[in-house]
Amino acid sequence: MAIRASLGSELRELYADESVRIQKNFAANGNGHEALLARTTLVESIALRLWRELISPDTSGPPGFALVALGGFGRRWLFPHSDIDLLFLHSAGSTEKQLKDRIRQFSQEIWDLRLKLSPATRTLADCDRFDPKNVEFVISLLDSRYLAGDRELFDRLHNNAIPKLAVRESQNIVKRLAELTRERYNKFGDSVFHLEPNLKDGPGGLRDYNLACWLALLSAMEAQRAWPAEERPLPVSVRKQFDLAVDFLMSARCFLHLRHTRDDNTLTWEAQDEAAARRIGVGGEEELSASDWMRIYFGHARTIHRVCTRMLDEIPAGGTTLYRQFQNLRSRLSNSEFSVVGDLIFLRDQDAPRDPELLLRTFRFMARHGLNLSSTAESQIEQVLPLVAASPPQGAGLWHNLQETLLAPHAAEALREMHSLRLLTILLPEFEGIDALVVRDYSHRFTVDEHTFVAIENLHLLRQSQSTWDQRYAELLEEIEQPDLLYLSLLLHDIGKGAKTENHVLASVEIAKRSMDRLDLDEPDRETVLFLISHHLELSATLRRDIFDPETIRQLAEKMETPERLKMMCLLTYADIKAVNPEALTPWKAENIWQLYIGTANYMLRSVDERFHVNLDDEVMTHLRTLAPAAGKKLESFLEGLPRRYLRTHAAGDVLGHMEMAGHIGTDPVQLGLKRGRHWFDLTLVTPDRPFLFANVAGVLAAWGMNIVKAAAFSNQEGIVVDTFYFTDRFRTLELNLPEWERFKASIHDVLLGRANLEQMLRDRLRAEKKTTPKVKIETQVEIDDACSAQSTLVELIAQDQPGLLHRISSKFSSENCNIEIALIETEGQMAIDVFYLTSGGAKLTPGHQARLRAALIDELLQK
Amino acid sequence: MTKVEAVIQTSKLDAVKDALHEIGVEGMTVLEARGHGRQKGHTEVYRGREYTVDLIPKIKIEMVLADDLVEKAVAAIESAARTGKIGDGKIFLTKVDDAIRIRNGERGESAL
Repeated sequence: MAIRASLGSELRELYADESVRIQKNFAANGNGHEALLARTTLVESIALRLWRELISPDTSGPPGFALVALGGFGRRWLFPHSDIDLLFLHSAGSTEKQLKDRIRQFSQEIWDLRLKLSPATRTLADCDRFDPKNVEFVISLLDSRYLAGDRELFDRLHNNAIPKLAVRESQNIVKRLAELTRERYNKFGDSVFHLEPNLKDGPGGLRDYNLACWLALLSAMEAQRAWPAEERPLPVSVRKQFDLAVDFLMSARCFLHLRHTRDDNTLTWEAQDEAAARRIGVGGEEELSASDWMRIYFGHARTIHRVCTRMLDEIPAGGTTLYRQFQNLRSRLSNSEFSVVGDLIFLRDQDAPRDPELLLRTFRFMARHGLNLSSTAESQIEQVLPLVAASPPQGAGLWHNLQETLLAPHAAEALREMHSLRLLTILLPEFEGIDALVVRDYSHRFTVDEHTFVAIENLHLLRQSQSTWDQRYAELLEEIEQPDLLYLSLLLHDIGKGAKTENHVLASVEIAKRSMDRLDLDEPDRETVLFLISHHLELSATLRRDIFDPETIRQLAEKMETPERLKMMCLLTYADIKAVNPEALTPWKAENIWQLYIGTANYMLRSVDERFHVNLDDEVMTHLRTLAPAAGKKLESFLEGLPRRYLRTHAAGDVLGHMEMAGHIGTDPVQLGLKRGRHWFDLTLVTPDRPFLFANVAGVLAAWGMNIVKAAAFSNQEGIVVDTFYFTDRFRTLELNLPEWERFKASIHDVLLGRANLEQMLRDRLRAEKKTTPKVKIETQVEIDDACSAQSTLVELIAQDQPGLLHRISSKFSSENCNIEIALIETEGQMAIDVFYLTSGGAKLTPGHQARLRAALIDELLQK
Repeated sequence: MTKVEAVIQTSKLDAVKDALHEIGVEGMTVLEARGHGRQKGHTEVYRGREYTVDLIPKIKIEMVLADDLVEKAVAAIESAARTGKIGDGKIFLTKVDDAIRIRNGERGESAL
């Protein structure tokens, strides 16, 4: 059957005129749903004209053959440039052969109209088979709709074949859908929050909306073994939000198709500007900024994505969700508050979220175990949020919970969930400013809030990384004393981007202060966080200098102030750059950050004995004088000649405390302070210098079974020594026995004044120690550097950590007539890394003396 | 047309870019590079481990220019990237037969 020549041009004209009309209507009313319906009706009318012309003058014929709309066409969702999915359905192979040429011509005519036709030809039996490699076809059948031909044949497909297939293959279809969804999400970095998102395929896009509908439909069909009464049996709780979201997305995608004149669904920045100006999907007439319009988009996308991922999580693997809950009730992670079913958390007490403590513990639990909230738990939490918002938890309790969440390996996921439920902005309202915020920067891929979560995730992922580059940073992360502060700094580092200001770093600092007031952070911790935020671009900026130039290194070291801050900044920079986009941290950049780090760390180590002179350091002196106006000369004589590092590593309050202790030396020459910190005990000793002083204190600590993890020793011009030892209490002697604190201090006091026998105490302790084989063997290294300091000789020792090691090394120095000017002691796992600045007779060690000392040290360290 | 390739110090990128914009160079490709000429690397020891930097981080800039702009560009790069010390980098010039703008098939200098 040949088509009339005039029909082709008539249909082309019809299609062109109607398309213009649809476009005009959309421009006038912005109603995407109406535009989709209009195009569906238009394409349908063209298909039917061609059917009558080419296949059968009667639209209900011929027998044994039917035309079926699938996919988007089936559900009447034809966007201006969507493909047209058609199924040519045959009852058997015979009609297929008979109609082959006419079907080809039918398809040709549609293609000639420049419509993108995706045709499929199948027999009824073909449609009953599940092909795991083409799950898309089965899914498109769920939206099948009769267009023309043998109605009874279509009914057999729709009423028998499809439900049977769906029930029989439900598990396989869902499994395959989940796999495809994971692959699709991967392409978009698993995030809704792209600066230029894809409205169709991106997480939270229209594909996800359809996925949720298909999952709901499959679940209902499996339960009822037939088509459910409702077309889209979505959970009642989400329907309203879903309807709003889909209306918005339909209008936005329709707008994009018309704007780009093709099936391009990327919301580019230019498209965002235009969509906001035209209030696409929003209606009304008030002016709307592009970032506010994007927030509305992200709000809808977040809802769709959340529901969709929950539905995928909760699809029963064999039986109903309730059954699985029962089955897994004794999951090994379940406890008195939460039951864990599969990867989902259920709250045992449905009123539990009313208790803010438990609410926060839920997210800690999530962060620790990498679990998701079940939709039941989620809606329980959502219901109590207004109550929480009326009286939000704050202060040390909130900080403690946030700390635990930030430190847990799945912190980023828990924070995302808190943010998605609006809990994070209730707890830290300052976060609202960067919620789904698009800041137009060509290198950035995500919104500011998502960038923050990705940065936190990057640090946690370091522990699992196999890459050599990452390994270095992973080791550095293990060395950080207060990683919680590093994570908090990452959480707040870009919080100022929401403020309308040129300098987001300054804004972040100001806003972070408010957050930290809310968390009631201790003053030193606040200072650290504010330091990290205010300098968070410093390393990146230095990377644009010559990183091998000693002056660049010196300047950076000055800015970083202490080795600990440098370490934190190095990790923050690593995480921050990597969160810009997946390719931002090139191996080139990672290597440069590392080189900059080690260069600066080594500089800090080798320049620590630069002395402080009160006359030359007005700024430091002014600050301290303000804090202690009455101290006067006492302060000056205490500070004169102390190494700069002492001032860099001690807060002003500590310096003044040490000065007070020095003032009491006349009454008692051994001034001791003992405190218990978060990680370890902290012993401070202020006393006149004398031979074996450092060795003796290290010895007493060893004799009490204490493990020295860090230590520092400094002396001023008057020969007053400030030694600090940080140690862990291996046998919990001090922790469990308060009276032992005084006995412990008395024991140090007595040894230093020669009233107690240290060697006897050590022999008793070492006899009681069990010999253990070290898990990691550390090779002994002794490095002597005579060039890095003008006054002293540097000795760096790396050795296997063992009880009494520091005592043995420092005793050896004393017996070799060396005076310890500065000691910097660190322990990393089983490796002791000790750096000493030594003098002998007030000068550097001679080469001969150095050689003797090296031999003596090696000899000592090789003794078991 | 001439292809200009310049290997420069990382710290000089901003200055070179500005100098090139100043004389009317509109587009360039910037690559993160690593290498050495007569200037060799160095070794840094950290925590007892040696980190040898035998290939030094550099920036490579590439651009294809109309011939009348080439000498100006070379002069701009030279003066912006020069510190007078070893390691300042090099500039290479190569003749280019043709250029094609993929979007519309335009050829020759107008495609630049």
